[in-house]
Parts: sequence; structure tokens; C-alpha cells
Amino acid sequence: MKAVGARLPRYDGVGHATGRTVYVDDVRVNRMLHTKALRSPHHHAAIKRLDTSRAEQMPGVAAIVTHTDVPLLTYGHLSALGIPADEPLLASEDVRYKGQPIAVVAATDTDAAQAAVDAIDIEFEELPALFDMRKSFDDDAPQIHHWGTIYPHFEGEMNVRQIRKGNVEQAFEQADRIISGVYRPAAIEQMPLETQVGLAVPEPDGRMTIYSCTQALYFSMGVVAAHLQLPLNKLKFVGGTVGGGFGGKVDTATETLCALLAQKSGRPVKWRWTREEEFLCSSTRAPWHMEIIDGVTSDGWILGRKMLTLHDAGGYARFSPYGVTKHSFHHTGAYTIPNLHFDGYVCFTNRTPTSAMRGYGVTSVSFAVETHMSRIATELGVDPYELRLKNANRIGDTSPNGIRYMDPSTVDVLHAIADATDAELAAPYSDATREMREGEWLPEHLVGQLSHSEDH
Amino acid sequence: MAIHTGRGIASIEYPTGMNQNGDPSQAWIKVKPDGRIDVFSGTSDIGNGSKTIQSQIVADTIGVPYDWVTYDNSNTDSSPVCTGTFASRATFVAGKAVLKAAQRVRERILEVAGQEMEISPEDLEIDDGEVMAKGAPTKKLNVGDVAAAATWGHGELITGTGAQLNPYAAISDPTTGEVDGVPHAAISYAACAAEVEVNDETGEIRVVNLTQAYDVGKAINPALVEGQIEGGAIMGLGLGVLEDSYPYYPSAEHRGGDFGSYYNPSSADLPELHNIIIENPSADGPYGAKGIGEMSNNAQPAAIATAVYDAIGVWVTELPITPERVLKAIDARDAGGGPRREGKHVIFDEELSINTVGTGKTWTAGV
Repeated sequence: MKAVGARLPRYDGVGHATGRTVYVDDVRVNRMLHTKALRSPHHHAAIKRLDTSRAEQMPGVAAIVTHTDVPLLTYGHLSALGIPADEPLLASEDVRYKGQPIAVVAATDTDAAQAAVDAIDIEFEELPALFDMRKSFDDDAPQIHHWGTIYPHFEGEMNVRQIRKGNVEQAFEQADRIISGVYRPAAIEQMPLETQVGLAVPEPDGRMTIYSCTQALYFSMGVVAAHLQLPLNKLKFVGGTVGGGFGGKVDTATETLCALLAQKSGRPVKWRWTREEEFLCSSTRAPWHMEIIDGVTSDGWILGRKMLTLHDAGGYARFSPYGVTKHSFHHTGAYTIPNLHFDGYVCFTNRTPTSAMRGYGVTSVSFAVETHMSRIATELGVDPYELRLKNANRIGDTSPNGIRYMDPSTVDVLHAIADATDAELAAPYSDATREMREGEWLPEHLVGQLSHSEDH
Repeated sequence: MAIHTGRGIASIEYPTGMNQNGDPSQAWIKVKPDGRIDVFSGTSDIGNGSKTIQSQIVADTIGVPYDWVTYDNSNTDSSPVCTGTFASRATFVAGKAVLKAAQRVRERILEVAGQEMEISPEDLEIDDGEVMAKGAPTKKLNVGDVAAAATWGHGELITGTGAQLNPYAAISDPTTGEVDGVPHAAISYAACAAEVEVNDETGEIRVVNLTQAYDVGKAINPALVEGQIEGGAIMGLGLGVLEDSYPYYPSAEHRGGDFGSYYNPSSADLPELHNIIIENPSADGPYGAKGIGEMSNNAQPAAIATAVYDAIGVWVTELPITPERVLKAIDARDAGGGPRREGKHVIFDEELSINTVGTGKTWTAGV
């Protein structure tokens, strides 16, 4: 029997179903310490004083780590993609979201750790907070981030991710109708059953074994190695079986701090976030604000699109510039629009920093583009299938960045759901194919964007 | 009070692999003395089934039964680099790394078998754990015997490595977004038809049916593909009508503290699901596969929002489409609300626009 194409059971399914799979929290080692964090109670504040001396004397406390204990405090997780570092592992001068970690305590049990956290002397000066990214451009917007309210480092020095193609002004002049709409998906939780959890074990040979729920073992190992300034042979990540991620465990949430506490105490250190911490301080899906303006003909060709996207990064950049770039590459959805003017911004607010979640960068644009398509169909009185089949990506069409679509299946998937729901399509829409445009499928405005290259 | 039924569709695309590429995955494989296969990969299985998928690819590529394959992704000492399980890359990118490693192993098995059988390796094939002469299948040698011969006779370890990396596509002109190469590994496509019921007194929405078609190139494991489609559908339903990390916004307080205080879909919200898998193979993917993992929660919110309009004639474009938002939209509809029309312009949602809410930026059809 061939394996590929077969409905084989999940490789580790029996263990999952019977509770015998070993997840990070199932790992117990001798002399293991437990961790609690001092977190910001404010959305935005300056830290005026931080003193752990009283907490260090509390019973059961083995180590306390603050920003002064981190060899490299601020490391850019995507510095390889040109996104500079901005987020300290532990807050030092200010806090930019409620729940931001300031200090961590390792103690013999979680109650002792929490008692020591409560004994840390800290003083804040509260600062005005911003939660609406539409106000990020205002003159009186609170200054949350040392870079300002808008991320300024696209390609080093631009504060906007731009796409420009064709001539939108001319497209709007030729259009019969210009239709505008605003689309705003909310922040939501990845909500894995397994909360963020890590365990760092100092080994007798001087290495550190880190049990991790990360979605990316080598990526997270690189993050720990950078903060601790260690070569990779000093670390061993153990994991690969994760209790749900959905993007949230691309963040390296516990591993680095466990390793620092383990180094300082010389003992194994585990940190399992509570469900409350998972909701309050783990990254969310970003809220997005998208404004689409489309110039269309009365029979349903989309001639041009102007689009503004604001992406709420929360207090720090994390992967947000990557998300907006990916978003910009896909802002026409499954359709071919030859004239484009796209501006995308990463806005800083005092929300919990947002990060990857299933469909990163594109889930938002799928909602905006498709709802807008539906509106165009109802405004024009054009059948929603016909509108989509007309403008659908076909072989030889080009993407917003001018890349040739090689094997687009928009026509196939639309035909499939039309068949399955008994939606009647008239000719020529019932006979549309993915093949290169010609004849009635190739109106004048789509001629110039075609690529005849057989390469990408 | 009345229950109104509505339908809506959405059609989406989604890239496989990291945006702009540059995301390597690597694998290595060794063969035990009885022919059983050990795969070492750095790909975390986050519930997506990548252990299963990659083992299936290895079994067929070498030509051995699936249950001969052991898969180890447990640690960074024995496993090579995988950029990670995200960006819908575990089947395509990491799967291609194990495929390449398996091809090397297959070649080595054929070389050793060729010496044992005194037949040129080009004239041999492997199927179901047996090396056979092409056209003369009675001349055969079990892969276990080949591995034993390599171990005890030839003094060799049969092993193979594989790496997959599509080069990073840089943005060559940041003013236009032009790139200097292909910025994805493949693109997958999907469409969704939603049927909803809307209660015009309470504002509640019930999603009754989601009919969805996904082109995944090749379903390496159709059961796991269906798992992605159905799990993703429920996640998309949550994004569409239920979930919000800041439910009392503009207050940022009272965020969900436990499962009971955060509205996410439960089995009570489960609509009827109709899944359609389409296989238009991708040029470069393992066995023609493309990514399915992430896109499966992208199409539902728009299809549901459209179905709500079809049911009660209001557009709710702030998610989630809560009962409160539905009732406010019905009130606005009944008060004669709708888009502003001016010449050929049709302007929806002005109250939500940055033009209305902010003072620092405007966004209009003017260029």
C-alpha cells in the first residue's frame, strides 16, 4: 500500500488520545524550582524604582532575575530580516503593556515564588495610554515607543510598506463606480490547551537542556543563545511535540528566563504560565484596520484599488513588520487588479504585543477583500460568483509585486462550491478555466499586466 | 421576532512558506541493520500532523512500508535545522527536505543491492520493502537484507541528508514593492459558502452550514487535510462572530481570564461542514503538495458577514459580528442609514474611517 494519499492515523495519536504523550509540563526533575513573574499592572508607565533586596531574603527563593542580569537585554528576533531590536527581555525603563514582565523569581514552589514577587519594591509613574491605532498619526498621540507611534524601519528607513502598480488615478477616472469600505477584525487569542511552558536544566557537563513548547526549536534556541551570549553547543532544546500553537508559540516566552534563572541558581527551573497569564500577556492576533477604495466598471471589472492598512503591534514590533509586508503582497486576494496604491503601517499601542497567528498577515486581508467583493457585487447587481470568476487570478496574471501566477485555482474552487450548493452559473462563467486570459476574459485593462514567461 | 436565513461566499488564496522565502529546513535519515528507517527532522508537530506527513513521504520515496519508519524531532542535538512550524511550511518546505534525504537513502540502498544482486542499480526498483529487477520482479532482495549486507558485509552506514531552501526574495524597490525573486514556495486556493440564521430580535447569528473547497495540490493524508479544514473552519467562525481579546473596548480591562469568560466556539456552535479537496499539483511541492494549515481559518469571516447581509440587509465590518453590533446595524438600517453616495462614489463605513476617528491622516480616493 502506498502511504502518500492514504488516511493513515496520526503518528502520535494514541499517546495524545490516552494521555500518555509527554509534554513539557509532564517533565519533572530533581531539585526543580518554579517561577513567577512581576508583571506591569499598568498599560503604560515609567519605572522609577526597582529593588529586589527584600524579596531575595524570602523563604524558598533561589534566584531573582531582572534586566541587569541579562547579557544581551534587547535582541531582535527578526534582525535577519532587517527588523531592528526594540523589546527588552525584562522591562528596565518603562512598561508598555499590562502584564509586561519586569522580574522573575525562581523558588521551591509557586507560592514561595509569588510571595517573593509580591515583596519586590517597585514604583511606577503612570503615563497616558493609546489603544486606537487610528489615532497613532495624531499630533497629540501618546509617545509609547522610542521609535514614535509608527514603525520607521521598513527597508531601513521607511515608515510605510508601499505597493505601487499601474496608475490608480487613471483607473478611478475610467471607473463607473468607486466603492469604499472599512474592515476591522479584532484581536483574538490563539488559545492552545497547553499554556506557555519551559524547563531549563543545567547539566553536569556545563550545557543547558531546555524543554520547550516552541513551534520552532532552532529559532527559539537562537533567541536563548543570543540573550545569554552562548554558542549553540552549550544548549540543547528538547521538544517537537506541542499542545497547540496556532502561531502563539513562535514567541519564545519562557525559555530564556528559565535559562537565566537556572544559571543563577544552579538548579533546574520550570515556568508554566497560568491560564490568566496566557490570556493577559501572551501575544494575540493583531487587530487590523483596513480601508479599501476600488474603482470598478458597471459590469464588474475591478480596474484599480487604493488601500490603507494599519496593523496594531501593541507595545513592541516583534514580527509585525513581516506581517504587514506579507499582507501587502496579498492585498488583492485571489484576484488580478492591474492598478494598485497600497500603504501599510505598523502602529504601536499599549495593547499586549501582537504576533503570529494562523494566517498571519493574510487572514485580515481575506476578510476585508472578500467582504468588499460582496459589497461590490450587491452595489452593481452582479452575481457574486460572476464578479469573482471575472477577476480571478489566472495563469499568466501577475501579483501585486509583478510575480507571475503559475497554478492559480480560484476558478476551480469557486466552481466546486457552486456545484456543491446548487448555485447555477451561466455561460461563460460555468466554462471559465484557470488558463491564460484571452477573448472576453482579456479586457483592455488586463493586457499590460500579463506575463508570458514560462519561468516565475 | 423572526429568524432570517442568508448565504454568502468568499474565495481566497494563501502562500506556502515564509513570505519572501529564505526559510531552510533540513533532515537526515539512517537505516538500521534490518532495513528500518530512522528520520531526524527539526520540525515541531503542533498538532498539524507533520510527523505523520513526513513519515508518509519518506516511506513512499524510499519504497518501504509506512510502519518501518521512525520519526524523531525531539531535540536539537540529533535533528538539523527547521525554521519552524508556521507559514504553512511543514508539508511543503520541511516535507521536501525529508523527501530529498529519502531520495539519497534510496540511491544508496540501490547501490548496495546492485552489488549484492549483480545487477546495475539503474535496472532496480524498490517497492514495499523489496528491491526488484525492473521487468523481472522474481529477482528480488528485501531492503532488510540490503541493510544487513551494508552493515555486516560492506562496512557501511546507509544514510542520506536533505535540505530545502528557496532563496530570499528581497524587495528591490521599496517604493513599489517590487521583488527580485519569487516570494513564496507555492500558493494554495480555497472558497467557502456560508449559510447563516440571524435572529432580528436578539441579534444572534447561527452559522448553519459551511461548504468549503481547498486546492492543496496533493492531499498527502486526506484525513489530516480534513482535520485542518474543519478545525480551521471553527477558528474562522470564532474570529467572525464570537472572539475578542478586548470585549469591553475601548476599555482594555476585563480581558478573559479563563476558558469560561472568553467566547470561543464550542461544539454547540458547530455548523454542518461539507469539505471538498481539490488536487491541482504544485510544480515543486513534495508529491505536488501545497500548504493548507493556516488558510483554513481565512475564508469564513467574510462569507459569514456576507450571509448576514443577505439575511437582514446590514453590513457589519467590525469583527466579531456580535449580537450588539447586529442590533445597532439593524437600528441604523431602520433609520435610513447606508453608504453615502456622491457622483460615482459609494462610501461605506465613514464612521469607522481614520478620516473620522483620527486627526493626523486622511484616506480618500484622491491620489
